[in-house]
Amino acid sequence: MATVELRGLCRTFGSVVALDHLDLKVHSGEFVSLLGPSGCGKTTALRIIAGFEWPDSGEVLVEGQDVLGQAANKRNMGMVFQAYSLFPNMTAQQNVEFGLRVRKESHEKRARRARELLELVGLASAMDRYPRQLSGGQQQRVALARSLAIEPRVLLLDEPLSALDAKVRVQLRAEVRRIQLELGITTLYVTHDQEEALSISDRVAVMSEGRIEQLGTPAQIYSGPRTAFVANFVGTMNKLEGTVVSLEDRIVRCGPLLLQVPDPTFNHPAGEKVELFLRPEDISIGLLSNGDKPAPGLFEGRVTSLTFLGPVTRVGLETDIGPLMADVSSAVALGLAADTVVAVKLDSTSLRSIAR
Amino acid sequence: MAQVTAVAQARPSSHRFRRAANRVPVWHVIWLVIAALVFLVPIYSVVQFSLVGIGPGQSPFHWYLTVFDDPMFRSSFWLSIQISLETVAVSLVLMVPTVFWVHLRLPWLRPVMDLISILPFVVPPIVLVVGLLPFLKNITWLFVRPEVLSLIYVVFALPFLYRALDAGLRAIDLRTLVEAAESLGAKMPRTLLQVILPNLRAAIIGGSLLTVAIAMGEYTVASLLEFSTFPVYTYTIGTTTAYEGVALSFISFIFVWGAMLALYLLGRGGRGAAAVAITDYN
Amino acid sequence: MALAESGMQPVGLAGRAPRKRSLSRRWALLGVFPFFAYISIFLLIPTGELIVGAFRTANGAFTLSNISDVFHAPYPQAFEFSLELSALSALMGGVLGFLVANAVLHHGVPRFIRPAFVSFSGMAANFAGVPLGFAYIATLGTLGVVTTLLQHLGLDIYPSFSLQGLFGCALVYMYFQLPLMILLMIPVIEGLRKEWRESASNLGASSFEFWRYIGLPVVTPSLLGLMVLLFGNAFSAYATAETLGVSNLVTIDIANLINGDITLDPQDAYALALAMIVIIVITIVVYALLQRRASRWLR
Repeated sequence: MATVELRGLCRTFGSVVALDHLDLKVHSGEFVSLLGPSGCGKTTALRIIAGFEWPDSGEVLVEGQDVLGQAANKRNMGMVFQAYSLFPNMTAQQNVEFGLRVRKESHEKRARRARELLELVGLASAMDRYPRQLSGGQQQRVALARSLAIEPRVLLLDEPLSALDAKVRVQLRAEVRRIQLELGITTLYVTHDQEEALSISDRVAVMSEGRIEQLGTPAQIYSGPRTAFVANFVGTMNKLEGTVVSLEDRIVRCGPLLLQVPDPTFNHPAGEKVELFLRPEDISIGLLSNGDKPAPGLFEGRVTSLTFLGPVTRVGLETDIGPLMADVSSAVALGLAADTVVAVKLDSTSLRSIAR
Repeated sequence: MAQVTAVAQARPSSHRFRRAANRVPVWHVIWLVIAALVFLVPIYSVVQFSLVGIGPGQSPFHWYLTVFDDPMFRSSFWLSIQISLETVAVSLVLMVPTVFWVHLRLPWLRPVMDLISILPFVVPPIVLVVGLLPFLKNITWLFVRPEVLSLIYVVFALPFLYRALDAGLRAIDLRTLVEAAESLGAKMPRTLLQVILPNLRAAIIGGSLLTVAIAMGEYTVASLLEFSTFPVYTYTIGTTTAYEGVALSFISFIFVWGAMLALYLLGRGGRGAAAVAITDYN
Repeated sequence: MALAESGMQPVGLAGRAPRKRSLSRRWALLGVFPFFAYISIFLLIPTGELIVGAFRTANGAFTLSNISDVFHAPYPQAFEFSLELSALSALMGGVLGFLVANAVLHHGVPRFIRPAFVSFSGMAANFAGVPLGFAYIATLGTLGVVTTLLQHLGLDIYPSFSLQGLFGCALVYMYFQLPLMILLMIPVIEGLRKEWRESASNLGASSFEFWRYIGLPVVTPSLLGLMVLLFGNAFSAYATAETLGVSNLVTIDIANLINGDITLDPQDAYALALAMIVIIVITIVVYALLQRRASRWLR
């Protein structure tokens, strides 16, 4: 099983910097997602690893060996493209067998392996169908089987589910992860869908403008964003603006409220303006009877919008510390309407700040 | 947070392989060179051949001057131009309303139209002349007028003009435009003229240029019906004096080149519905 | 060839009684009457006339003698030559056109190459006929520029080479066959998705293996179809060959039969023309079938 290491990858297209000194170490058997908006360089990085692009400078090491000197067809990696990659003049079985055919494997061995892999992706019944007879989801499964047939040391996936329906996407991503775990194959997965990345990866590299903003486990990325970009890109974040009152006690004044930042590494000096981040699910709401004032530690808020999201409802609030979004169970939200005044409570243990 | 390491040195291997990947295989270069030779050598030869002075003190442009001095040159060229313009006029008057009408009211006729637009390919010019000759011989008043050529050329230009107009009409949302015009009170002729035609300008001009190219270069029918159009003149002169024939070829070449250039420039600005003339109609 | 859309009801009449709808349909057809009348007069009727005329004597009596004349000298040789010439020029133009189109589309090739070749092809495809004949006389004729050049280098292509011969004439035909093929082939090769090439490469295939297992199988129906088109194109040609002085070509034979230069025999001309139509219809049917096959994969 293979480790993959990217060192100082740089690539510029004309005046656009696609990759800016990218460094990444992927451990053997690990599933790492490259997550970011279009143009952040994630696909470029993947294509460089696969051999379809070359960097201006930097190294790509697989199992410690530099692969940049190898042509794409010699690197023994499996790649799944976003769409249209199945050969139209071959059946599913023939597609899967292709890599083995090129390696001059025997007819029986090819057929056996093709059957094995198509069963693995749940499409043994479609062996004799042509790509145009398969749905999008089925085509991608065959593409996956095809890439695994050659027993690659690394699996690369370039937004493999982006062209599929939402429901199929959710199903298929779980399967991709299941197969990856079963085979223990080192995997790099490019996507712009943060839910996808967070749900199936061992680690996620959030990218922007050619560099990695943060690399960590899904939990770390979600709960502990280290930059404003990551905070805003991954999930929804409430942004609170305030001024530091005391560095030692980590107190920040936001409007009329005094909030304590839980992170012990908080390093902004007194008087400095900072941004604090809080997830909608860390804000709770209580109904107020007419004329009541909120209990101490809580503050007032006025409902400005209600967005039904299924299990939760996102409540837009206008408060003294600025606009907020709170995720509230839909059952509770039934009692709310625009302009309702509510009591708002922040879970200050979840407050995050970006280090200086 | 991502670790930022020092900038790595530019690695020779990655550069080498990027250059290698982009290097064009030898074979491709060979084919391109061969094709370029096929295209350019005859043109070079034409120029070289026609710029030969036949005696001391004779200008290299001798043959061109001879040709320009010939009144038949001017009259045959002018005749061809006239015929071309007539062909374009008749074609447009015939085709534009028809294709418009089919697109608007008779969409089920489209397959029939598509089939008809291919018919001229099934009936090459020589065959068409064979079928037309006895019929035309009896209509003496028409038979001796060069206009008869225009009427025949309309058929040859049909596939290309149809393709151009069809593509042009498919590119605009015809139904919506017409309904909008109708709701504003315009009647059909006005709608066609003031609303649809401006939107089809590129297709019409492109199709017309192709029609002109076809009409200017057509030889088969013109020679068999014994009209002295430019290609017939070129043939007659050229088979007597090869040098003049070649000079005339060069003049044709410039003309075709000019028409194609116009077509290309047209295609650049906006919806180029220009089709490519694909058959040897000579 | 545009594919037909499914028939749609004429606009503006929804909700009216069906009888009124078909009446209005008939009125609408009036609008295309001029066009169909024109086509009938200048295309359909003449074609019909010659088909019928092929079976009639000069007096109008029914006969098969015209048809049988077609099978007697010198016509079978003319057909043989025409078919060989068409096939050879289609093959030459087709193969080279494919290779050139592929080269033009290669990603490493300088940017200007593609527009240069496309525009020149558009122009060259239109240059056919009398001027082309003289251009080649100037090139490879007995006093041609290239002929003279080769003589200086010690190579005398005459008398074994001849512009009126099979190879010589096919070479001239290349001037319009090649660009036609290039223009029509470029979209076909572009239809080969980048993802197929990259997947093949990723799975270990070389460029050759890609073409062998995927590229050529997918492209071949189009390739053959276009070559058939080139065949029909060459078969119909007249002026170019006439200018070169070719003598045993079907189209030239037909012309001679009606202009009375050698013999005046319109009846035989009809029969020969009919034979030409039959051959061309066959090529078009083959072309259409191959195109249908091609579109299955290149969607």
